Amino acid sequence: MTSKKDVLHVGIDLGTSRSAIAASNGTKHVVESYVGWPLDMVARKIVKKTILFGAEALEARSMLDLHRPLERGLIKQGSAKDEEAVHELLKHLIALAGRQEGQRVEAVVGVPAEALRVSRQHLRGAVKGIADALLIVSEPFAVAYGMDALLHTMVIDIGAGTTDFCVMNGRYPTEEDQRTLTHAGDSIDDQLMKLVKTKAPEGRFSIHMIREWKEKFSFVGDPKQPVVARFPVKGKPADVDITAEMKKACESIVGPIAETMLDLLSKVEPEYQEKVQRNIVLAGGGSQIPGLAAALEKVLLDVGGGRVKAVEDPVFAGANGGLAIAIDAPEGEWEPLGA
Amino acid sequence: MASSGRLKQTLVRDAIRENVDVIEGRLPKGLRRSDRIRRAIFRASVFVIVPLALFLSINALTTGKGERTDVVFVSTPAAVPAPAAAVLHAPKGLEPSLFRLSVRSVVLDPGHGGTDPGATGAGGVREKDVTLDVATRVRALLEEGHLAVSMTRDGDTTLSLKDRVLLANAKRPDVFVSIHVNSLPAVRDKRVVETYVLGTTTDARVQALAGDENRESGYTLADYRRLLEGVLQDARSGESKRLAASVQGGLVTGLKRAVPRLEDHGVKEAPFVVLIATEMPGILAEVSTVSNDDEARRLKDSAYRQTIARALADGILAYAESRNHPPSKRS
Repeated sequence: MTSKKDVLHVGIDLGTSRSAIAASNGTKHVVESYVGWPLDMVARKIVKKTILFGAEALEARSMLDLHRPLERGLIKQGSAKDEEAVHELLKHLIALAGRQEGQRVEAVVGVPAEALRVSRQHLRGAVKGIADALLIVSEPFAVAYGMDALLHTMVIDIGAGTTDFCVMNGRYPTEEDQRTLTHAGDSIDDQLMKLVKTKAPEGRFSIHMIREWKEKFSFVGDPKQPVVARFPVKGKPADVDITAEMKKACESIVGPIAETMLDLLSKVEPEYQEKVQRNIVLAGGGSQIPGLAAALEKVLLDVGGGRVKAVEDPVFAGANGGLAIAIDAPEGEWEPLGA
Repeated sequence: MASSGRLKQTLVRDAIRENVDVIEGRLPKGLRRSDRIRRAIFRASVFVIVPLALFLSINALTTGKGERTDVVFVSTPAAVPAPAAAVLHAPKGLEPSLFRLSVRSVVLDPGHGGTDPGATGAGGVREKDVTLDVATRVRALLEEGHLAVSMTRDGDTTLSLKDRVLLANAKRPDVFVSIHVNSLPAVRDKRVVETYVLGTTTDARVQALAGDENRESGYTLADYRRLLEGVLQDARSGESKRLAASVQGGLVTGLKRAVPRLEDHGVKEAPFVVLIATEMPGILAEVSTVSNDDEARRLKDSAYRQTIARALADGILAYAESRNHPPSKRS
């Protein structure tokens, strides 16, 4: 029987935008979920690598066949390259975690709930071979587990591709305890792109610039300061005030999230509904949008009030939860999970 | 916190059990709960359901039923009867290759036409012209591969969605392929191929696309979502996904050489009315992106259109071969 010290336990948050790993040896890493292969011999000579990941891949994107393999929270079906990209990304994360020679790796991978719901076998096939044993769980469950929020809690995990909802009521979440929306970070980007394009039709900016502005300046409610973006207009750099556009784009996800939150709350057993209302946790990158938690609390006033708080470490909350599950899983139970 | 410890042990065991279920090909417990009635019926009536479902699948592939085309045009979706197969699917579905059902005939549907130009791009290139030209080329290539091919239009004619559905269902083909060209004005630098099968979506871009393509049908997206709940498990769905995966693979492989920066957006689901109302496995392929200026310019080039047609035909032929069609000579 393998002893615990011969094993590297890892928790991985496989996200549309970023993927994070937390390992039992104390290492933690986060990588943008981009994987790129040089387009040709010339590109390979310049980048000096056969495969690039994360920010490095994004930087060299003009020379790469670049993939962001989890679109809307799902591995794109019908695309062998995207499956390969998921595989390579996970391998890269495990390498970053510092696996020792001959050390057994037992991994818990948190994925968007939709990916689990739609195609469990497909997902398992795509991550085959990256560890000695593999347990796949839904991301909001991993977050709840890591926070010890297993009873009367609702986790709303706002990622890039999807927003996953999960009510923890003391059992392993089933279909009826979970919901998924594609109103998430990427849909804010799409909306902001459209609005800024309308405001400055002759401006030139890319989706990557839009993402950067959102990550720096997003807000819901009243702005703390004007949001000014710099991009070329008619060929000259210009400062454009996009405060109203940013507000509108960020607030475009509030309605769908509020509606789904209330719908899930209405399905909670009546004696526990109030407890869940007072225990709503926002996770994922979107949880950090200033004013979002307050906006959702305002919505809860209609059903008697409630409390919404954001996780302290949105980048690693899912990976930490995955690691906690990996460490807690009895050694003998990993046997049938060989990957 | 002993009780918390016990709860954690239970949850971890449940998570492991669910994963083992998946590895061993069993439906996970959470799904079993919501599915238990259907599964119980299945277990109790396996000898009735399988032959009946088989009969219905073969019937759908060989006979068709014209009257279901009304589904598209009534304004009260609630009144629409779900196809009989919808309530008879077995948990693992039927594998048509087991019954040697081959693919011999295809209906190609060139999107838009006549008074509806579809999307337009740099230099005045119009979606309706590209789809007709590509479809005509695909027809020739599929006929070389010994498939019988019909087209919903072979000239610049105005066709409603109703007309397209009626024409396709009347021909009773084995598969239906609707050909379109994407327009992504928000990301003009992108050149994308993607293939759609029938399904619901909450993706704002896909909703807008479906809304555009369905605008003459008289349905709202909310109507579609309700309607789709009844038909998503139709026997066609699995075959449509296989066809879509094959076509998407053909497009990506065939076009990547000509367009190294091509983005493969894979197979997606959307509530396109031509896929709801046609009675055979069907897909909608977005074979190019007219909003990209370089791509729009290339779409005027006959050789490039032939490359697109070749890639699309290869995907269809690969699917047909996988369904026992005699292998054809493909480049």
